[in-house]
Amino acid sequence: MGAAPVHRIEVTPRVLPGLQDTRGEGVRRQLAYDHDIEIESVRSITGYMVRAPLTGAQLFDSLRDLFTDPVIEHGVANQSLLDDDVMFTPPPEIAIQIGFKPGVTDNPAQAALGGLTTLYPDAGAAGDVATTMTYLFWGVPEDVDEKWLADQLHNPMIERAAIATRIHCRSAIWPQLPFPDRPPIEFEEPAIIDLEVSDAELERISEAGLLALNLAEMQAIQAHYRDSDTQATRQQHGLPEAAPTDVELECLAQTWSEHCKHKTFSALIHHKDTETGEDSTIDSLFKTHIMQPTWDIAEEVDWLLSVFHDNSGVIAWNDDWSLCMKAETHNSPSALDPYGGAMTGIVGVNRDILGTGLGARPIANTDVFCFGPPDWGGHIPKGLFHPSRVMRGVHAGVRAGGNESGIPTVNGAMVFDERYLGKPLVYCGTVGIMPRRLADGRESHVKTPTPGDVIYMTGGKVGSDGIHGATFSSIELTEDSPSSAVQIGDPITQKKMVDMLIEARDAGIVQVTTDNGAGGLSSSVGEMAELTGGATIDLSVVPLKQAGLSPWEILVSESQERMTVGVKPDDCAEFEALAELHEVEATAVGEFSDSGDFHVTYGDLTVALLPIEFLHDGLPQLELVSEWIPPEHEAPNFPDVDAEGMGDVLASLMARPNVASKEWWVRSYDHEVIGQTVIKPFCGVNHDAPGDAAVIAPLHGDTRGAVISCGITPRYSDIDTYAMVAASVDEAVRNAVCVGVDLDKMAGLDNFCWPDAIVSEKTPDGKYKLAQLVRANRALEDVCRAYRLPCISGKDSMKNDVTFDGEKISVPPTLLYSLIGNHHDVCKAVSSDFKQAGDAIYLLGETHQELGASELSCMFSESHGGGIGGQVPNIDTERNIGLYRALTAAMSSGLVASAHDCSDGGLATALAESCFGVDSGCIVDIEHLFVEDDELDNWGALFGESLGRILVSINPQDSAAFEAAMDGHACHHLGMVGEDDQVVIDSGEENLLRADLATLRKGWKATLDGGAP
Amino acid sequence: MVDNPKAAVLTGFGINCDVETMAVFEMAGAEAQRVHVNQLVSGTDSLEEFHILAVPGGFSFGDHLGSGRLLGNRLRFAIREQVCDFVTSGKPVIGICNGFQVLVKMGLLPGDEEVSLSQTASLTLNDSGHYEDRWVTLEFNDASPCVWTDGLERMRVPVRHGEGKFVVPDAELLQRYFEQEQVVCRYVDPSDKYPSAADDPVAYPLCPNASMRNIAGVCDPSGLVFGLMPHPEANFTKWLGATWTREGEQSDWVGEGMAIFHNGVKHARKNL
Repeated sequence: MGAAPVHRIEVTPRVLPGLQDTRGEGVRRQLAYDHDIEIESVRSITGYMVRAPLTGAQLFDSLRDLFTDPVIEHGVANQSLLDDDVMFTPPPEIAIQIGFKPGVTDNPAQAALGGLTTLYPDAGAAGDVATTMTYLFWGVPEDVDEKWLADQLHNPMIERAAIATRIHCRSAIWPQLPFPDRPPIEFEEPAIIDLEVSDAELERISEAGLLALNLAEMQAIQAHYRDSDTQATRQQHGLPEAAPTDVELECLAQTWSEHCKHKTFSALIHHKDTETGEDSTIDSLFKTHIMQPTWDIAEEVDWLLSVFHDNSGVIAWNDDWSLCMKAETHNSPSALDPYGGAMTGIVGVNRDILGTGLGARPIANTDVFCFGPPDWGGHIPKGLFHPSRVMRGVHAGVRAGGNESGIPTVNGAMVFDERYLGKPLVYCGTVGIMPRRLADGRESHVKTPTPGDVIYMTGGKVGSDGIHGATFSSIELTEDSPSSAVQIGDPITQKKMVDMLIEARDAGIVQVTTDNGAGGLSSSVGEMAELTGGATIDLSVVPLKQAGLSPWEILVSESQERMTVGVKPDDCAEFEALAELHEVEATAVGEFSDSGDFHVTYGDLTVALLPIEFLHDGLPQLELVSEWIPPEHEAPNFPDVDAEGMGDVLASLMARPNVASKEWWVRSYDHEVIGQTVIKPFCGVNHDAPGDAAVIAPLHGDTRGAVISCGITPRYSDIDTYAMVAASVDEAVRNAVCVGVDLDKMAGLDNFCWPDAIVSEKTPDGKYKLAQLVRANRALEDVCRAYRLPCISGKDSMKNDVTFDGEKISVPPTLLYSLIGNHHDVCKAVSSDFKQAGDAIYLLGETHQELGASELSCMFSESHGGGIGGQVPNIDTERNIGLYRALTAAMSSGLVASAHDCSDGGLATALAESCFGVDSGCIVDIEHLFVEDDELDNWGALFGESLGRILVSINPQDSAAFEAAMDGHACHHLGMVGEDDQVVIDSGEENLLRADLATLRKGWKATLDGGAP
Repeated sequence: MVDNPKAAVLTGFGINCDVETMAVFEMAGAEAQRVHVNQLVSGTDSLEEFHILAVPGGFSFGDHLGSGRLLGNRLRFAIREQVCDFVTSGKPVIGICNGFQVLVKMGLLPGDEEVSLSQTASLTLNDSGHYEDRWVTLEFNDASPCVWTDGLERMRVPVRHGEGKFVVPDAELLQRYFEQEQVVCRYVDPSDKYPSAADDPVAYPLCPNASMRNIAGVCDPSGLVFGLMPHPEANFTKWLGATWTREGEQSDWVGEGMAIFHNGVKHARKNL
């Protein structure tokens, strides 16, 4: 490879009348917005280092036909654009070149290489390409340091920067990165790990190897290798009899990781409640509070097809099609590299859908993010990024991953709290669709492998990237966290694979499939081997990004864009032909067996032999202790204000990041590709009012639909996680009800993100945090049973703590509840925007004095001191579901003009948001609300966050019918949609709040406006 | 005369809108078939067998090296003859979003009578610097020879792109495209009275990308090849509209975007 010369190609946009350098301009604008630094001008040069045997003529032609857009760009080969006097006069003051570190996925380079191969197949096949981006700066304030500037432009974990300082630039010394050659890796034979050592040494082995196994687990492994039967079998295979190979130990560590085995959720918990005196034992929160309720609901409904055991949960949507859904978190990778971490989050969960049953097609994404405050001015521990940078990176990664994959992002949320400064929470969800049955009669949600089926690895190659992702996410983040756990996704490689595998499924040649996510091949093959009772794979045939990887690395690497597929020997030719058509890598790496073992070889050498039973069931159960002591909080300090002052309070509340419009961010997701999105993220006359839930109609021309919504309310955890979970689930349901979900067919996903809840030196308050988890699970069970809302899939991320610089930051306990439901007729879907002046406004549901940990209390505790104490919203599931059913019936009779969920900021916020949709104000009287609760005050009535409430508007001619339909439920006629810009809220004779809509909108839009048009 | 024209809908390499593009051609009366680019290269399929060619939206090859360039090169270098024959035999072609970028980068649009496949225009990054999904209003040029837009005045459609700024840096050439009525549709302010398409910049976000003279779509001199950045296939039914829940009872649910596909199929039916 070293023989071919490296050609350097440089391309820059022509700046002509009407044409700008948009990339450079974007950097200039962002520095101004994020850092208040005004730079006169920024230009950009894209660089390609092409190592390929090209002739002079080929180089010249490829510059014109491939690397440069001849109409709008100027390109040169093997010379520097910066030496060109015409292009950049005067020369720049600072020039910074950014390129990837060796081994990091460089998608543009791969695309360029492919493009070169289209033109010159031979040269391309023997070639290698790397890209760079050079930014040129003019008019930089003197106090801006070059190194600081470079740090804003790259992430040293995955990228390199070459800086031409002011002094360099004056001497025309330009930045030039070398080709990112990977140092050769030395192949290492499997090592033998001696486990006949002291307990302390066992723990040290686990820690040093990033295995994330505790002592009991290490001892269980030790015991396995002491077993005489084990030893006899191992002897037959030429393996060390009484000690594991590194391949085996790594495989066990991945399979037994918190990430894969959910150890906390499976633990035996001794729970104490100091409030009630309860002292009890819970054998697995997961089985007790999540699985059992779903099994009980499964007795009553016939549409739960596949729950918990596969990569996503599957429900029968109608006679011909089923839907599935999964949500994942990618918190640790996103903390280290926000862009790559988030992108691999979204394309990773897409693979969960593709790996469900025999393969489902991903048709909708959801994205929910929790960040530190974007305007955070406080301290940030060294080594962590500012939340605004995390937010930009995560957003860009999800945007690229979703948009390029052609999957619409239809629903999501953003939540801000300073405790997400350490680890952001990046929840990525995907909905998939698959036919109930294939042409050959098999149900597509059921995997059908048999011994003898050939195991294919498809998609990307295996590299040293992504080693230890599963175990790494199972421990806290520190400055020593490995960069190998960070990856960048390649959506196009994956998209080609999706196209191919769906065709293979429809052709009937897929017997089993699963994705290569956490734990790589060790998990994907290891898990599927459970279905037939064994598997053999040969690591020496696995295609590698770089020669020299050791067997254990090949087995556990989480290199992206890979699926594992089982195919019958007779179908292999057809499978490989499909792969070739789509230009997808597909390699037979082994076969399924019924030997009882997961047998891994490297060529002829056996490198691992693990009994399937031990691999999957050998993990000892954790025993943990929890203790609930209710926390105490001071009451908030609310100021004395008049009606206009109350209007200002509303304006301030609506400008808070948690309530503010996310339009600038959400617009850059494609929410409509595939042509199915009926209720979009935005609605209203100006397309800027927030929608509550997505409605999609996945079959083109067919009005049968699906609803996708979510709920997330981490604030309440500070008072009680029971309330937090109840509120989250109710919010997801309420949002879905607002668009007209079919209440008889909805299913949910629970995604827990918790701080470490196991008591230890690092986590002295572990008992309390575990008690929070117990309460959270109890709420989940109570509410899901009452709403007949089965959890069909979920995930837990249990170590969301960071320690940097000796400072520990832990996330607040956070549950994301995602919901997928049926919609009978999308033509009857309802949106949140008020429709016209004169429409009657109603509030459904009861309002109580519930301001504990509300957005309002948080705001005043920041500005006026005081606490966030008070009553958190209580849930009355029976009352709520009855009301939801009545409203749903009214909607299907066409009686409801708009419906909007009351959540963050309460009634006043909901009113303003629905007003944005019609672009006029409202006049309402809330006197009747005070009858429901003696303790209700104006703050509680206007901004309290009582659950089960929905704000609706009704065409006056339907009012009587609507009121009749809601008979027996809390239904308050508040007033009507106005004709002017005034939002007026009275209580009888007294005016409580007055604001003009334009002012509210301005503040609501300004907070998170992204800094660009 | 063909009763059911066959439409080839290109797929593969990151084309994303093939499924809905198939659906709208079927709704318009064509027989639509997904055709992988490599099937045309290998000869398993030939464009000759089809009456209509559609290059749908997506992110072919990740938009690396400029949107549409790499797929354009596959068509321009690997199946050049098939493409030229298709166009010169009077068969209609449509490129939507990424498909439009492909046709422009390979030189088929705005194109020339000789079908020389030389690039003269481009689609570059939106002046805003970012990708966005938002609804816009298009106004059509009734003097255009474009067979796809016959009889159309205005249409509401989403744009979903980051590189949709249409540019022809050569001012004389751009003027010629106007004189030849190759500019088919432009972004307009829906509150202005029809017709209102004009050269002065329409403010962001009504014109979402700062295209020269607000251009959203162009055709070749024959009017058979048409490309546009917005997605008419995404408005095949009213329930996909941006504000449909505000628009009262509907007597039928056919969306505004269908007219384009009906026109294309009608033309193929009549002339092939």
